[in-house]
Amino acid sequence: MQQLITVFFIAFTVASYVFFRRLHMKYRSPLLNVVFLGAAAVIAVLLFCGVPYEDYKPGAAIMTYLLGPATVALAVPLYKNRHLIRQYRWAIMTGVGLATAASMATAMVIARLGGLTKVVVVSLAPKGATIPFAAPVAEMMGGDPALTAAFCVATATFGALCGLSALTRLGIRDPVARGLAMGTMFHGQGTAMALTEGEQQGAMAGMAMGLAGVFTALIAPLLIPLFV
Amino acid sequence: MSKALKFAAQLILLCAVSWLGNQAALLSGLPVPGNVFGMVLLFGLLCLGVVKLEYVQEAADFLLKHMLFFFIPLAVGLMNWGRLFYEEGLVLAAAVVISSVVPLWLVGFLAQYSARRDKGCNS
Repeated sequence: MQQLITVFFIAFTVASYVFFRRLHMKYRSPLLNVVFLGAAAVIAVLLFCGVPYEDYKPGAAIMTYLLGPATVALAVPLYKNRHLIRQYRWAIMTGVGLATAASMATAMVIARLGGLTKVVVVSLAPKGATIPFAAPVAEMMGGDPALTAAFCVATATFGALCGLSALTRLGIRDPVARGLAMGTMFHGQGTAMALTEGEQQGAMAGMAMGLAGVFTALIAPLLIPLFV
Repeated sequence: MSKALKFAAQLILLCAVSWLGNQAALLSGLPVPGNVFGMVLLFGLLCLGVVKLEYVQEAADFLLKHMLFFFIPLAVGLMNWGRLFYEEGLVLAAAVVISSVVPLWLVGFLAQYSARRDKGCNS
């Protein structure tokens, strides 16, 4: 029975990914978030069939097997844009480094002021990094990777909707700075939005996304214990 | 070499780097995820020319294109957290928005300031 559940839900997860990806490609709205809608569809069917999360887990482990190699593959766009890293090294180091620390610190302060539990505070902290970095960081520090994934998706969706206009309102007009900010804070979705402004913005954003993940992983073990 | 074989070989190479990254993380004893080591390792190997772009290109593009897929099974774990969003939704939304906008301004401002300097250095 467990094998049957596993096979069925792997097939269903793949199907809902394909379906919502097509929908997203067709309408291109940041609100049609593939991760959010895909997960919602799977959860709905699990609840409807009365299958607990624990029975979905073996299938989830099989499906996420290639996430490690996929994250490693982020080095490829980083390598392709290495001339940008060299050219803007100061902007990148100060900007991405401080923003990553500030994002973790402000999230944890607000969560603590709001009286949230330790697990939630820790899970919120790395949400500025892309999920493959944020989720294991949260898990190592005592958070819940699923919660972190949700916060990442919420952050990225917010960023895709409001990021570019927020930057304009804050007086950030330099194309390099705009790309860097979108990639650092709003990962993949931010990068996609930055690409709509131009090639250079997109390249900066993609690179900043990878670096922000590395910075988050390096800073988190030092920063998170100070706030929880 | 046929396309499928080439793709499989590239995938195996990426898996190997990922595995090495995990081993490095375990051996170092640092609280840093293995995939961070893996990504830095692949970046280093590419820069040194040990691994050429064409050894990994197609498999890397494919995995990156469909990366969102892997996040769906991860996010399904949320079904155990329904009450949290119902009860604390406002605090969570405030935390997400404020902790996004403040650093967004910070990185934008610092990058705009130093990008001008970097441009000056290079011209």
